[in-house]
Amino acid sequence: MSKCRIPLGPFHPLLEEAEFFNIKVEGEKVVDIEMETGWMHRGHEKISETRTFTQSIFLVERICGICSTSHPFACVNAIEDIDNVEIPERAKYIRVLIGELERIHSHLLWVGLAGHFIGYDTLWMWAWKYREPILRLSEKITGNRNHYAMMRVGGVGRDFDNSLIPAINPVLDMLEKKMVMLAGAVNDDPVLKSRLKGVGILTKEDAINYCANGPTARASGYDIDVRRDDPTAYEVVDVKVIVTQNGDVFDKAVVRILEIIESCNIIRQCLKAFEKIQGPVINKVKEISPGEGIGRYEAPRGEVFHYIRSDGTNRPVRHKVRAPSYSNIPTYKASCIGIPLADALITLAAVDPCYCCTERSLKVFDTNGRKLEESLLKLSREKTEKIRTKFYPNNLSPLEKIFEL
Amino acid sequence: MNGKEKIFFEKFKDKFSKIIEKKRRYYFNVDNEDLREVADYLFNTMKCRLSTCTATEVYDGLEVLYHFTDDTTGTYYNPRVKTCLENPEINSITPILEGANWIEREMYDLFGIKFKGHPDLKKLLTINSPEFSEDDHPMRFKRNSEGKR
Repeated sequence: MSKCRIPLGPFHPLLEEAEFFNIKVEGEKVVDIEMETGWMHRGHEKISETRTFTQSIFLVERICGICSTSHPFACVNAIEDIDNVEIPERAKYIRVLIGELERIHSHLLWVGLAGHFIGYDTLWMWAWKYREPILRLSEKITGNRNHYAMMRVGGVGRDFDNSLIPAINPVLDMLEKKMVMLAGAVNDDPVLKSRLKGVGILTKEDAINYCANGPTARASGYDIDVRRDDPTAYEVVDVKVIVTQNGDVFDKAVVRILEIIESCNIIRQCLKAFEKIQGPVINKVKEISPGEGIGRYEAPRGEVFHYIRSDGTNRPVRHKVRAPSYSNIPTYKASCIGIPLADALITLAAVDPCYCCTERSLKVFDTNGRKLEESLLKLSREKTEKIRTKFYPNNLSPLEKIFEL
Repeated sequence: MNGKEKIFFEKFKDKFSKIIEKKRRYYFNVDNEDLREVADYLFNTMKCRLSTCTATEVYDGLEVLYHFTDDTTGTYYNPRVKTCLENPEINSITPILEGANWIEREMYDLFGIKFKGHPDLKKLLTINSPEFSEDDHPMRFKRNSEGKR
């Protein structure tokens, strides 16, 4: 069978950062995948050495547009770790609230995009519809839909307004109801099942060997969660860690949907605490002593890691940043090989890359000089359509039925 | 220190120096020859996960800090390996755990540290950049002939 090389990227809608995937296929089957990166390298670590500690927090907030509070969260954890700074209890709850709101909207974004990639555009539009109230809540609480600028060394920059609690509760109730409904519909839909179940399996051994983290690892039965294992603000709330065993795309979707429901529970715990706990939201930190500190936070995509070394001045000597996708993207080497090309797209998307680049059309020539012009998106959607017509020649699938109401 | 941590530091007490103990964080110096043994013990016996590694240029050389995390207790074990400024070389731990592959390539790219035994040591981030050649390592300080920054 003829071998063929399919370049994907560097600019492609499913890639969080501009990355280049060199997919080698034999017929329909993926036999090898190689990743190249570096198109989005902005040198944050080097810039951070020329900024003060407070400026660094706002700098790292710009690393990611979707999980924008996770980097500042880990950064302040690292700075506080140098001097063992204690933060006020109310500030802990505010940090948790912002973090969980962000987790909900990030996971909803992924659910929508996953639907988009397999040709379920209805799912995409509805998931993003539910995301909108969360963004509005964030705007009410912090003043911005994204890039909240809440984290400070020693606490948070802005107090939570208790009069907002009545406005938040109905949104959480609505979201939880819809997520239960969505989870049920996903479970009932044989089209989605045959499209996602058993696709792109990452075994637990591979997850451990590649040092995967976040939902990617938890879907493979690797029970890790920074919120529970190394809490710096999360010790004030109960966190239930969602773990599934199969490691396929279906389980990754299930983990994320269940985490949204769990996040709703955590936010409710915070809202209850806000009524009781008053007081300051920041411990003013005047200087950082020489030393080194490690901070981490469970971002929607996995563990964000920051290491800061200080020499006693107001600037870090070394600021190391490691985002979760950096550990998760190499797992493609384990999960993509041996699957059909039409499933490669959803498997690549399953570790949750963002939607920030533009699609580029490709012209691919195989070894015989034949031109292949199908895009992966088209292949993926055609496969879903084929399964759908097999199961539901005339009627709507359960997933489409719930949205029709 | 709890039981697991005591056994670890007892086992390698001749090989560690300058142990710094903080709340849930341990920093200690390890020789390049002992690095693989320590990494193997941390990864395979203590079931730690490698978060990442941090390379830093200090006044008299380069140092690499490996961040191993024990997820059952939330403890970080940070072995620190020092190397020289001219032709820096450290043993690779990629044969032990695949997750170190990209991390070592990044350190080679930005700091020029060669990892002995790495299966495919090439640049990671500036590989396609027209501004950097193969010998450029952008995170290194520019030093004058006396070795001063």
